[in-house]
Amino acid sequence: MIKAIRIHETGGPEVLKWEDVELAEPGEGEVRLKHSASGLNFIDCYQRSGLYPIDLPTTLGTEGAGTIEAVGPGVDNLKVGQRVAYAGGQMGSYSEARNISAGVLVPVPDGIEDQTAAAMMLKGMTVHMLMFKCYAVQPGDTILVHAAAGGVGSIMCQWANALGATVIGTVGSDEKAEKAKANGCHHPINYSTEDFAARVQEITDGKGVPVVYESIGKNTYEKSMDCLANFGTLVNFGNASGPIPAIEPLELMRKGSLALSRPTLFNYTADHDMRMKAAADLFDIVSSGKVKIEIGQTFALEDTAKAHVALESRQTMGSTVLIP
Amino acid sequence: MAALKASAILLREHGGPEVLKIEETEIGDPGPGEIRIKQTAIGINFSETHTRKRPGGTHSNPLPLILGREAAGIVEAIGPNVEGFEIGQRVAYGLRRQQGAYTECRLIPAFELVAIPDDISDETAAAIMVKGMTACYLVSQTFEVGPGHTVLVQAAAGGVGTILCQWAHHLGATVLGTISSPAKADHAKAHGCDHPINYREEDFSARARELTNGEGVDVVYDPIGAPTWEGSFKSLKRRGLMVNYGWAGGRVTELEPLDLMDMGSLTFTKTALYNYANTRENMLGLANALFDVVSSGAVKIEIGQKFAMKDASLAHEALETGKTVGSTVLIP
Repeated sequence: MIKAIRIHETGGPEVLKWEDVELAEPGEGEVRLKHSASGLNFIDCYQRSGLYPIDLPTTLGTEGAGTIEAVGPGVDNLKVGQRVAYAGGQMGSYSEARNISAGVLVPVPDGIEDQTAAAMMLKGMTVHMLMFKCYAVQPGDTILVHAAAGGVGSIMCQWANALGATVIGTVGSDEKAEKAKANGCHHPINYSTEDFAARVQEITDGKGVPVVYESIGKNTYEKSMDCLANFGTLVNFGNASGPIPAIEPLELMRKGSLALSRPTLFNYTADHDMRMKAAADLFDIVSSGKVKIEIGQTFALEDTAKAHVALESRQTMGSTVLIP
Repeated sequence: MAALKASAILLREHGGPEVLKIEETEIGDPGPGEIRIKQTAIGINFSETHTRKRPGGTHSNPLPLILGREAAGIVEAIGPNVEGFEIGQRVAYGLRRQQGAYTECRLIPAFELVAIPDDISDETAAAIMVKGMTACYLVSQTFEVGPGHTVLVQAAAGGVGTILCQWAHHLGATVLGTISSPAKADHAKAHGCDHPINYREEDFSARARELTNGEGVDVVYDPIGAPTWEGSFKSLKRRGLMVNYGWAGGRVTELEPLDLMDMGSLTFTKTALYNYANTRENMLGLANALFDVVSSGAVKIEIGQKFAMKDASLAHEALETGKTVGSTVLIP
């Protein structure tokens, strides 16, 4: 018997229940993983609220790290006692332990702690997807990152710097602006006091940016489009203020033959080689020290509901980790 | 100097092909930055049938209006402050927003003109300027087509489609294309389309999946709009790109971002030549890349049908009823 945070119905943070769960022996191709840390992500909130439909009841959580406790039949690349991490694909990281398909696990290098791994897998691989696949950031590019002080934003600012890009980032407070700046955001914009679209035009001498990484959604997407140069890409990967409503295709043409991309990590990591490449690149950049993973706050796994409240009310900074 | 008389097709009211009538017009001397050209061949584009039918659209043009966006001809007179052109030179143009090509003779800003290489005929140049520059940005900028890619070209036997298929094929891609008749399938096949799909006989997206082992294509180039909208998205592989560059079959007014996500993290873009050829430098880049690929023989331009300029109405009718194959030109 182990403890896990489960939901039986969609709704607010109160639907997250701390419950006893039976854990069977790992099946064919599976291992049993004892979690030492689980990452908190916006996608968990979207699944909890019902925005992203999932089958119920279930254990939430898409990112975790821990130690292998038991190995099922047909698994030959992993062994008991090995430290591993994972992100995306199979939900269930809000638990003390779980069974999981061996194929999604990535061994964690010695220099990276479990909590750090749990804090960076989903967000870091998301950043990899955003900056290498959805739009390949080039040296000399100026890019716009929303929520630049958040979990994904903090990693993106640092990684973009390592790639030689100039980063404009929006944040919700002066405190977050300082934080973003410390992470390599060259031009933090406090969107609650400044018109970010006007500032982007000013910073880029009216040229606009080739890409906007848009995780806020409903409240910002129109202005985000106004920030784009011709053929720019609006990469919408989150909905912190609600999903972007239906847009008129012609608007994209009128604003400069723009592209709208709507990625989810799942579609970029379903392929084993792509997933391993993303994880390897991520571990490399973190090991090099060019990207530091800051755990802004930790919560006991039991208090996951409080963590959801904090994330949704924009009170968190950097990554948030749940500790079983 | 007295104004020149020139025949032109004037649109005085919106309507069916019959509203296209020939009239005598007067052409003045070229002003500063302008050139007067005597036109030898005029290209027809599908979007002109839309402009003919109804006012408004993307760029509203008041009546009376001379339709047409591309043509070739000879420099007849050069206005003040024009450099780089001489009388008698063969030139062509492909306009983005403006119209005015269905005419014997016209004034045009010199910055719109491109010198035609010797090995490309006037008719070919007239037929390819807008369509070819469009195909050029689609395969080289909107999506960089290369070996290993699989692309789906909607309206593969049409003006842009015929060029697009050949160019994508030349760049090493496997080309799937939709067509509406066996004759068009033959045409497409002879022009770089590896797998023509007759959409009247089979579900093109199902066929596209079948041809790609269930994976779907990397990119769809769609100038049709409403009738092909869903099928185009369904033909894409995970992380694929849907490019719409026209509404020949009707406009779509809504795109749900979350649908793109649910269909496999797709990207959508709606393109227009005026964004890609937004400066003279960019326009020349497209035009010269086009001339190069045509000169090399990798892209063959077939003038599927020629009409006398006075019969522009017949040309529009043929285009709208899907009876044309390849490019259509008017001869003044």
